[in-house]
Amino acid sequence: MSTMTSNGRGDGELFRGYLNPARPHAGAYDEMFSADASVRSAYRSLHEVLAPSDVADLSARSDALGRAFVDQGITFSLSGQERPFPLDLVPRVITASEWAKLERGIVQRTRALEAFLADVYGDGQIVRDGVLPRRLITSCEHFHREAAGIVPPNGVRIHVAGIDLVRDEAGTFRVLEDNVRCPSGVSYVMENRRTMARVFPDLFARHRVRAVGDYAVHLLRALRNAAAPNAADPNVVVLTPGVHNSAYFEHSLLARQMGVELVEGRDLFCRDHTIYLRTTEGERQVDVIYRRIDDPYLDPVHFRPDSVLGVAGLANAARAGNVVIANAVGTGVADDKLVYTYMPEIVQYYLGEKPLLPNVDTFRCWLPDERAHVLDRMSELVVKPVEGSGGYGIVFGPEASAKELNALRRKVRGNPRGWIAQPVVQLSTVPTKIGDKLCPRHVDLRPFAVNDGNFVFVLPGGLTRVALPEGSLVVNSSQGGGSKDTWVLAPRSSTVESELSGPGLVQAVPLDGVATEQGPELTASQQQQQQQQ
Amino acid sequence: MSWRLRVTHTTEYRYASPVTQSYNEVRLTPRSDRRQNVVVSRVETHPATRAYRYTDYWGTVVTSFDLHAPHTELSVVGSSVVETGGEVAPTGGATWTDLRGEDVLDRYTEYLGWTDYVPRDRELAAKARELRRGLTPVDAVHAAASWVHSQMTYRQGSTGVHSSAADAWQAKEGVCQDYAHLTLALLRAMGIPARYVSGYLHTRADGAAKETVQGESHAWIEAWTGGWWAYDPTNAIPIGPRHVWVAVGRDYADVVPFKGIYTGGAGAGLTVTVELTRLA
Amino acid sequence: MLARNAESLYWIGRYVERADDTARILDVSVHQLLEDATVNPDAESRQLLSVLGITPPDGTTLDVWSLTELVAYSLGNAASICASVTSARENTRGAREVVSTEMWECLNSMWNAVPERQRYARQVGPHAFFSFVEERAAMFAGLADSTMSRDDGWRFLVLGRSVERVDMIVRLLLSRSGDKASSPGWVTVLRSAGAHDTYLRTYRGAMDASRVVQFLLLDRLFPRSVFHALSQAEQCLEHLYHAPGRRVGATAEASRLLGKARSDLEFLRISELMENLPRRLKSLQATVRDVGEAVSQQYFHSVPWVAWTNTEVGA
Repeated sequence: MSTMTSNGRGDGELFRGYLNPARPHAGAYDEMFSADASVRSAYRSLHEVLAPSDVADLSARSDALGRAFVDQGITFSLSGQERPFPLDLVPRVITASEWAKLERGIVQRTRALEAFLADVYGDGQIVRDGVLPRRLITSCEHFHREAAGIVPPNGVRIHVAGIDLVRDEAGTFRVLEDNVRCPSGVSYVMENRRTMARVFPDLFARHRVRAVGDYAVHLLRALRNAAAPNAADPNVVVLTPGVHNSAYFEHSLLARQMGVELVEGRDLFCRDHTIYLRTTEGERQVDVIYRRIDDPYLDPVHFRPDSVLGVAGLANAARAGNVVIANAVGTGVADDKLVYTYMPEIVQYYLGEKPLLPNVDTFRCWLPDERAHVLDRMSELVVKPVEGSGGYGIVFGPEASAKELNALRRKVRGNPRGWIAQPVVQLSTVPTKIGDKLCPRHVDLRPFAVNDGNFVFVLPGGLTRVALPEGSLVVNSSQGGGSKDTWVLAPRSSTVESELSGPGLVQAVPLDGVATEQGPELTASQQQQQQQQ
Repeated sequence: MSWRLRVTHTTEYRYASPVTQSYNEVRLTPRSDRRQNVVVSRVETHPATRAYRYTDYWGTVVTSFDLHAPHTELSVVGSSVVETGGEVAPTGGATWTDLRGEDVLDRYTEYLGWTDYVPRDRELAAKARELRRGLTPVDAVHAAASWVHSQMTYRQGSTGVHSSAADAWQAKEGVCQDYAHLTLALLRAMGIPARYVSGYLHTRADGAAKETVQGESHAWIEAWTGGWWAYDPTNAIPIGPRHVWVAVGRDYADVVPFKGIYTGGAGAGLTVTVELTRLA
Repeated sequence: MLARNAESLYWIGRYVERADDTARILDVSVHQLLEDATVNPDAESRQLLSVLGITPPDGTTLDVWSLTELVAYSLGNAASICASVTSARENTRGAREVVSTEMWECLNSMWNAVPERQRYARQVGPHAFFSFVEERAAMFAGLADSTMSRDDGWRFLVLGRSVERVDMIVRLLLSRSGDKASSPGWVTVLRSAGAHDTYLRTYRGAMDASRVVQFLLLDRLFPRSVFHALSQAEQCLEHLYHAPGRRVGATAEASRLLGKARSDLEFLRISELMENLPRRLKSLQATVRDVGEAVSQQYFHSVPWVAWTNTEVGA
């Protein structure tokens, strides 16, 4: 490899002390090395490239990654500050066979969640049949009665789903949570890849990595399919809270890649249950809104009247069938952390199948026996609020003081519906560049699924978030997380290889090597004369 | 014994400066059920609008409309002709044990829970325990309603739209909305599923035909004791031919007759009139 | 196109041009302050500030350094170069889907490089910073030229740029209008407008104050002349006006204002040009302001955030 150096550093230096037995969570599954320090097959060629490379070379590439992100404005906002989302330069690799399993599981889960939402906002058959308690639904904060009876034209409510996966000590992928409201992060999947290919081309030369660049094509197809059949050429827009939103970069990227307008609430208005866009040439009707605003802010008529981000009258426009909201209003009931614990029942009930992806074992504080167990063993568990995202409010039992645990016990007793508990899942680790070394750091994975009504597409890849502080299990960007490019390897013999290519537009033209034309120039003899003068 | 009633519910807003945009939802349309039959019903607005009508989660017919022309006056008239049936007797048969059963608890969970208008209150819970002692659920409903009727004084303006059952109980006075919320608080404390009903009441028990009376928007409750049945705690009477119901929900918030937002205007003045005429 | 995006493009055009032209004007003034020992730096600086529409600070004596600080670097001053760069970048960030990636990256990396360039300019002198700004603005214009469709978005961008250019050339002339006709300052005026070579070729080397003014105000071929910028703005508006069937005059106020200002210059007797130059410049400035308002009324129907009031009726 070109990165081989002769300065005496090299073989293994980067990985020295990687499998230190004294590291925190030493039992976690490392995706590159098995317990006997041999390299797992998925990472073999990556390891071959990385191991002999020079630290200075890696650091230079790492700096280049950072600079590229800043110049392209690939940032997220944290308390008003724009920051780049740190991209680690060691990719995370998933083999073709592992991915095939994940893909089937994600499609299954998305279908089950769709059926569940259609039922919950329709007849509630699953409740009538006694499979789920009605209380589970009615007590959910994101169960919006305002959405009851709104039926989307093609039946899809979850146009985009992000399923968070972790890998346990045995290396098994498990679902940590579902995100079916406004899952974000897909822009980093695409930009990470683009940037990695620029600064680390030699890595790609040795792998067959499946492409992630065509996400927007699938999203746009799903959004256009969602429109009412009468809209011949549906007008799709992306609705953003505005430039100060933490995911603004993503909203703008998706709008650009789909070639549709990126709008704020004030660019839209509702008249007679129809939504219009304010343009320089007057108003234009909108058929589909891919919204990146949370339900409570979406429509001041039905939700928070003080919301200035939404569009007054939007919910009833959707009910009247004049506009489609994607993802639909009220999908939050499907990604409630307590509903999550019933996923095996939900999958079985609607699809008659066993779940292909297991959940993380979860104790439900609202069931008396499980609550007793949680209160008893709190110091060994991770206790999470059912409401909450971004990693806020999570208590790691083993790290909490007795006082904190007691306070938590009071909170759990006071609001059992509000808490769940899980064993401390030791998320798998992947080598990550920390200073001059590659060290094991914990990662999760958020693949994205897009449902166009006929077909659930799962983007081959996903957002791998990595917790950068040593021993940390919290990967959220708001808590010091970074990300990794996620490589799904193409199967050895497959049709997938032509994902981005295809038959040529027209028949290939025989090339006959016509030279480019040149302007008049002084002949050599003229030049000579001029010089001699 | 059955009446035919015409109900005309008029809401008029006046604004000091023109309102440029307004979005509204009104719940003014009664529905047919075993006890009442809606002959005709419509909602009109002035300035005229293109309204959209749908049925909400609670089964109530909602009329939604928006206005974009600047206006300083808005009136909404809901008028219906309804045939009402005779007096409603309690349906029952459920025992306290039945009411504590997992099945009932889960099925009626929304009508047993606490809300902003019907909050959990220690004092009222103690009262509820005292009232139900030795009674069947049906009798306990009557006991709670009579107790509310005897404790409260009907006075308009003493409470606002946002007063809860606890506020009303502190004030010991209020309007039909407060009577209903207070009764709901007691019933839910007893473990009886109970819901809020909004509608209209003809004010004369012996209402003569063709005579138009100034009626009122009214509210009462329904309880589940093996079946749903209604009772009017404000007047301590069973529901009869004088009552026309429009909507049910957990509390007032689920059945608000007129809800909306507007921008551009200021200083709203408001008149609400309800006229009821016994036609037959 | 979306009204809010149109407004953003118009302002991107204005802010980039403003940063560019302010850098040019300041470059001239700084140069003169340094070269000519006879001028009073404080008075000169205050005059420049008022021409640029910046309130001069009280109680301090201004010199080259504090002037540069105020006009180039200060973020607290909305008309400074850095503030214009920031505004241009913010507007682009809010309108990414109508601006090409190349244009965005050009402005974004310019904005990111500002602190470092400032540090460098403080060491080696302000000219380094000015030429950085001028280069980036030129790059932006080139990228816009080669990557934008010639649709309404392009027209709003060029409209903003042209309107700002009129404003800034007028300010540049105002800043020197007190100079003697033989002042060497006129050469720097030409240099700052990038017009020196062209002027020399046009007038065959004859340096004369009234010709300089004539060139910058009236030249029909030079793209940085007021006349040229006015005509370009007028053309943009002409193409933006889609309603057919116009029979009488200019129905849109902005077109009328621009057309009137343009024809005033077009049919001006050259001999009258210098007679009441300051008044003429002032009236051009007023026209620019009115055009801005008229365009905004006609095209940018974007509304501010709406505050809603709840309607609710008691039982």
